[in-house]
Amino acid sequence: MSTTAVLDRTRLRGPRALPRVAPALLLTVLALLGPLLAPHPADQPVTAPYAPPGDGAPLGGDQLGRDVLSRLLHGGSALIGSALAVAVVVTALATLLGCLAALSPALGRVIEAVADVAILLPPVLGIMLLSLAWPGGGRPAVTVAAIALGTPYAVRIVAGAAAPLAASGFVEAAAAGGERLFHLALREILPHLRATVLALFGLRFVEAVYVISMAGFLQLGPQPPTADWALMIRENASGILLDPWSVVAPALAIGLLAISVNLAADTVAPKAGRRSGPRAGRGAGRGAERRAVSRR
Amino acid sequence: MAGAVSAPPDDRTARPGPTRGTGAGRAAARIGMLLGKRVLMLAVLLAVVFAAVQLLPGDAASATSERGEGAAGVAARRHLLGLNRPLWERFQQWMTGLPTGDLGTSARGQKVTDLLAAPFPNTLLLGGAAFVLTMAAALVLGCWAAARPGGRLDRAIGLGSTATFALPEFIVAVGLLLVLSLWTGWLPAVTLTDGGGAPADWTMLVMPVLALAVPQTGWNTRIVRAALADQERTPHVAAAHLDGLPRRQVLLRHALPGALPTIAIGAATSTGMLLGGAVVVETLFNYPGIGTVLAGALADRDTPVIAGVVACAGAAVSLVLFLADLIRYRTLGDRS
Repeated sequence: MSTTAVLDRTRLRGPRALPRVAPALLLTVLALLGPLLAPHPADQPVTAPYAPPGDGAPLGGDQLGRDVLSRLLHGGSALIGSALAVAVVVTALATLLGCLAALSPALGRVIEAVADVAILLPPVLGIMLLSLAWPGGGRPAVTVAAIALGTPYAVRIVAGAAAPLAASGFVEAAAAGGERLFHLALREILPHLRATVLALFGLRFVEAVYVISMAGFLQLGPQPPTADWALMIRENASGILLDPWSVVAPALAIGLLAISVNLAADTVAPKAGRRSGPRAGRGAGRGAERRAVSRR
Repeated sequence: MAGAVSAPPDDRTARPGPTRGTGAGRAAARIGMLLGKRVLMLAVLLAVVFAAVQLLPGDAASATSERGEGAAGVAARRHLLGLNRPLWERFQQWMTGLPTGDLGTSARGQKVTDLLAAPFPNTLLLGGAAFVLTMAAALVLGCWAAARPGGRLDRAIGLGSTATFALPEFIVAVGLLLVLSLWTGWLPAVTLTDGGGAPADWTMLVMPVLALAVPQTGWNTRIVRAALADQERTPHVAAAHLDGLPRRQVLLRHALPGALPTIAIGAATSTGMLLGGAVVVETLFNYPGIGTVLAGALADRDTPVIAGVVACAGAAVSLVLFLADLIRYRTLGDRS
C-alpha cells in the first residue's frame, strides 16, 4: 500500500521533473566527454597569447596562446569527477551517521556539537588549513577537505529527516523485537528517506563544486599547466580585456553547472511545506530552521 | 479546525517569558549559559585548529628558510619562534594570549596582530556592507514572495534565489566585472588604494560587495521565505487570517516576528560564508584585505597567521551566532 503510494507520487512527478533535471545531466555528460571532443591538445600553444576568437581557436587563446575551447572541454571532467566523488562519500557517510544519530540520542548530541563547531570555520579557511597540512596535496587534498567540511551539516539534515521515523511505531516495534541498531538504521529507516537522500546528494554535489572551484581559483587544488575551469579564471584574469572568452567561458561553465544541479536537486527535494497531517502544525518553524543551520 | 487554532500557546503570548517567573536573574543566567556555550564552541574550534597545524610535518622555521641557509640557522629561528618548546606549553600560551588580542608571532617574526591590523578592517568593511545588503534584500524579497504564496512573483523569486545561492562568489564577480566594468565602463575593474592602504573610493567597493551579496541573498531569501511559510501554518497566524486582518499586516506583525529566530540563524551561517568569500573576491579585485595576507601566509606555511585569521573569523561568526541565540531567546523564551 505505502509502496504503491510512493511509486504513484514518483510517477506523477516524473514528467515535470525531467526538464529541470536534464540540463544538469547533459552538462555533466558533456564535461566528462569533453576531452574526446577537444580540437587541440590542452597544453600546446596554437595561437598568440590572449588572441581574439578566430583562426582555429573559436574562443581565442589563453595567457600562453593555448586554445580556450580545448582547455574548456578538458577542464571540467576532473572538477565534476571529484565533486561527484565528494557528493557520493558525504551522502553515504551522512546517511549512515544520520540514521544512527536519530536512533541514538548520545550520538545525536555529539553530531550536533561537531556541526556547531564546524559552522565557525568558513570553508575557504578550512581548505587553506588542510592545504597547509598536506603541502602539494593538489586535488586529493581538496577532495578530502570538501568531505570533512561537508559531512557535519549533511548528517544534521539526515538526522532531522530520520527523527520522526525513529519515533514511529514500526521502528519501535522492530526495536522491541530485538533488532540491532544497524538493522534499524539501514533496513527500517533508510528506505523511507529516499527523497531526502537524493536531494542531499544533489546539494552536496553543488557544495562540492563550490568548494573545489574555490580552491582551484586560489590555486590550492590542481596546479598549472592542468586545464581546470577555476584555475583558468585565475590564470587568465589579467587578459580579460584582450580575450574576454578566456575568463567568461570557464566562469559560465561553472555557473551553469552550479545552477543546473541546484535546480535539479531542488526539484527532487521533499517539499516540507506540502506535507499535511497532525505533525504539520506542531513541527512548524522547524523545517526552515533546520535548513538554516545546515549550510555547508 | 477551531481546535487546532486554539490548542498550543502562540509565540506572542510567550514573549514575556524571560521576565516572568523568577525574573531577570534567571534570564541573565540563561543568557550567560548561551554565551558560555558559544565561547566553548569557539575554544574547541581553536584547539582543533591549533592541534591540526602543529601536528603537521615541517614547521614555519624550515618553510621560511632562505636558500642556502644551514641547519643551524633554521634551528636558531626555531628557537626564536619558540617552536622547540613542548606542544602543550605553546598551546597554553596561544590560547591565553587570544583574549588579550595577542595572536602570536608570524614565521617572519612579526606580530600577527600587526600584520592583520591594516587589512582586517578593510575585509570587515567589505563583509559588513555585504551582510547589511544581503539581509535587507533577503527580508524584502522573502516577504514580497510570501505576500502571495504560489503566485507568479513567489515562483520567480524562488527560482532566482535557488539559482543564485549555489554560485561561487568569484563567478558572480567575473559576471559583474564583465557587465559593469568592461562593457559599460561604469566602475573600475581593480581596487586602487590611498596612502593608508584603504580603498581610495567607495565605487571600488560596489563590485566586491555585490559579488559577495548575490549568492548570500539567494540563500537568505530562501530561509526568510521558508520561515514565513512555517509561520503561516501556526495557529496564531491562521487565527489572524480568520479574523480578516489585511495580508500585509498579518505577514509583518504576526508571521515575521516568529520567523526572526530562523532568519537570524540563516544570517549567522552567512557570516562565515561572507568572510570566506571575501578572501576569494579580494584576490580578483586586488582589494587590500586579509586575502592578500593569507595568500602570502599559505606560501610560507605561516601557521600562526592562518590560525590567527581563523580565530578572528571564528570569533566574528560566534558573535553573530550569539546574537541569533539572543533573538531566539527573546522570541521563544525558555522553550528554545
